[in-house]
Amino acid sequence: MQEILGLYPSWYVPTIGSAWVMGIIGTIHVLASHTSVGASWLFALLETKAVRENKPELMEYIKKYGVFLLVFSYIIGSITGPGIWYAITVASPKGVGGLIHNFVWVWAAEWVYFTVEVIGVYALVYLIGKIDPRTHLKLTWVFALASWATMLLIVGILSFMMWLGNENWYQTGSTLDAFFNLNFFAHLGLRTAFMFAIAGAVGGILAATMKNETVRTDITRFLAKMGLAGVFLGMIMWMWYVQTLPENAKIIMQTQLPGYIAPTLFAVLAATIIYFAWSAWKPLQLKQGFAVAMTAVIAIAGLWPEERSRESIRKPYVAGQYIYSNQTISRDVPGKQIESNLPLIAEKGVLATHPFVPETLRTITATNRLQAGEFVAKVMCANCHSMEASGLRPMVKKLQGSTDVEQIKAYLGGALYHGLIPYMPRIPLPEMERQLVAEYLASLSKHTMTLSQTQTHASNTLVMKGD
Amino acid sequence: MELNPHNIAATLQVLRDPAGIPSHPAVFQVLMVLTWVFHILFVNIALGSATLSLYGFTRRQEPQWERLSIGMTKAAKVSVSMLIVLGVAPLLFTQVIYDPQWYASNILSASWAIGFIFTLILGYSSWFIFYFKNHQGAKPAIIVWGIVGLAMFVLDGFIMHALSYQALLPEQWMEWYAPDGQVDMSGSTIHAWQAGRFLFFMAMSITVIGVFLKAYAHYYKVREDYAADYRNFVNLLGSKIAIVGLVLQLVTFVWWLLSLPEHLHGFANPMSWIIMVFLAAFALLLIKQADQHHQTSYKPLFYAAIMALLVAIFRELIRIQYMLPYGYDILDYKVMEDLPSTALFFLTFVGVGGLVGGFFLTAIYKAGRTQGVYQASKPVAKLADSAVGVMIVWIAIFFLVGIWVWLKNAL
Repeated sequence: MQEILGLYPSWYVPTIGSAWVMGIIGTIHVLASHTSVGASWLFALLETKAVRENKPELMEYIKKYGVFLLVFSYIIGSITGPGIWYAITVASPKGVGGLIHNFVWVWAAEWVYFTVEVIGVYALVYLIGKIDPRTHLKLTWVFALASWATMLLIVGILSFMMWLGNENWYQTGSTLDAFFNLNFFAHLGLRTAFMFAIAGAVGGILAATMKNETVRTDITRFLAKMGLAGVFLGMIMWMWYVQTLPENAKIIMQTQLPGYIAPTLFAVLAATIIYFAWSAWKPLQLKQGFAVAMTAVIAIAGLWPEERSRESIRKPYVAGQYIYSNQTISRDVPGKQIESNLPLIAEKGVLATHPFVPETLRTITATNRLQAGEFVAKVMCANCHSMEASGLRPMVKKLQGSTDVEQIKAYLGGALYHGLIPYMPRIPLPEMERQLVAEYLASLSKHTMTLSQTQTHASNTLVMKGD
Repeated sequence: MELNPHNIAATLQVLRDPAGIPSHPAVFQVLMVLTWVFHILFVNIALGSATLSLYGFTRRQEPQWERLSIGMTKAAKVSVSMLIVLGVAPLLFTQVIYDPQWYASNILSASWAIGFIFTLILGYSSWFIFYFKNHQGAKPAIIVWGIVGLAMFVLDGFIMHALSYQALLPEQWMEWYAPDGQVDMSGSTIHAWQAGRFLFFMAMSITVIGVFLKAYAHYYKVREDYAADYRNFVNLLGSKIAIVGLVLQLVTFVWWLLSLPEHLHGFANPMSWIIMVFLAAFALLLIKQADQHHQTSYKPLFYAAIMALLVAIFRELIRIQYMLPYGYDILDYKVMEDLPSTALFFLTFVGVGGLVGGFFLTAIYKAGRTQGVYQASKPVAKLADSAVGVMIVWIAIFFLVGIWVWLKNAL
């Protein structure tokens, strides 16, 4: 057994937590990238229509949307893509390391597509009217297929983050077993459906600016049909997707997600259907501001809670149900010669085995107890819990403001120690570290209580003074 | 156990990902070095063309400078896209074989790593605004957009430099993470940088934009709407800029060597001398040809690519040397061979990269050199059909293999 845990330093973000930083960048990327892939198919279908029916005026729209994409998807999307790597690197280094080392060649293949995609979008936009229409049409179709290929390749990695769905990969270590997991095809269907819907919504922003009314009507109806097809396909895929989720995800969906998420998502779904149906019925009434608002609604009220939920239901894991969100390895993976970290933690604790513990915390004294407890608590818990009174699943609220050290310690030594809570990692800290963490967590509640008493006192004083 | 020189080696070992790597480490090392060459060339072109376009903008009363400013604004716009996409590969391969160093460095300056993303978005957006506004008769105030864009690009270059450099100094990580024993998890500080190294890459941008201008003059030689006077002006300017860049590179390279730790013996490294001789010879060649402003070719750009390759090799050699005292050798990374995914990459690289990338680049190249509409020649039409074909075949194989594996595991 190793004597050192493979843990990195931690990055702690007060209140929102590093998980939200990752989530914000991820959501922006999903919006930009799905719009881009969906739009590439829209271009291919529209351009085929333009060539077959000899309607070159449709190309004007493709050019407009293409330039918009260059700014929207290829600035924001292409930066936030690697940006997600940076965000996961600093928030969850073992998580990203696990993904990189399992899927490096898949990611490298995606990079090939990503490169030709970026060259392709410039070629597509700037060669309209500069090369013959048939060659341009081929270019557009190749671009659409290459864009979709980037999605095919990333979805397998994202699905692996959720779970494998079977034991094979743990024994074989094969990338194919990891990639084509139980969740893969349903997840791919869901994202493919979403790309059509979001490209339809964003497309409205540009369609509304077309001067020629016939073209505007044609395109808006085309977008509406594509958007509706995406929404309905998405609903079917969602039902399939839920069936492919692990048990812990289903429990979290039923018991742990904020109550507003499901109604909000249904409201966004209904609004999207009405939006597309209405724009198909009255295409000329679609105004740019309204299309912008609809895109914003889908992004903020639809995509953000959806992405957050997807991250949440994966808990307590970040990848393949063998890496916990607190960066420890939760189980053996014989196919990759990976050993669980938990026996070492149970035997020696974090302070003795974490390579980035300062020497002053190696020996516990009366003066450094809280500091040591804080260190262990942040390493083991801060990926999902805020240590402040508010923010991401605040520890104080989760412990219901308890200041009882023994009570907290009993919790740490019970359900958490044995891994009995489906959405929490197993954290088998030795007795001494449970004591330190309990003291620290109790001190957080005391601090919050003192703060709120001070505030109440201050406001009472102000009222008495008549201010 | 403290993170001191005695156990850094053990820590670096244990920080490696336990899943191992799916092919021989040298494969990733070679790919990392080669892909970085393309990345850094586009970084140089982006920084150089952005600077030149702003300088040209200040002299836009002269038609040649105005035209060049507009052209370089476009070049910077495309180059930033390319440097991002081409940066993904070396970043990926670095994470494969140098994951302990890269991840630790990033976390210790995490706020800067995240800031990098948002400042790059800000800079690139600002540059796009400058691009949309920089046309004939543009208002002077728009230069502010360009200045903000360039400033952000330079800042982001500096952040990347610092993250790369910090990765080489594991003996200092603990002091940065817990100064005086007090743990700081904010990641709010840039802890180390090396002026000579950073300025060397800035100077390289001057050289590369110089030879890029010479290639630009050559590319538009066949276009009648690009007058000979303008092309000669660009070609001559390119030579002058490249010569200045090479001299500055020599100076900053020596500075870089002087900043290296003693045990690296920078001046005893044969690669150092190969680079210095190459830079000097390149400069002399350009000085010799400086007055031949009618003569254009892609050769100087090719030489710049060789220079970038030499620098990439040197950069990797000194990283190996930096890691020697800690016994970190990529060659002992655990290998868990995975042939199917290895084949996926190489076949995609050759098939899709070659045919699809080849088709896109050929179309852009040919259309750019044609006045009016370019009618695809037979070979180009065939290339287009092959690109469509390879995509259909690739997707078909992907689904066939996928369904087979999925059923095998699900049933």
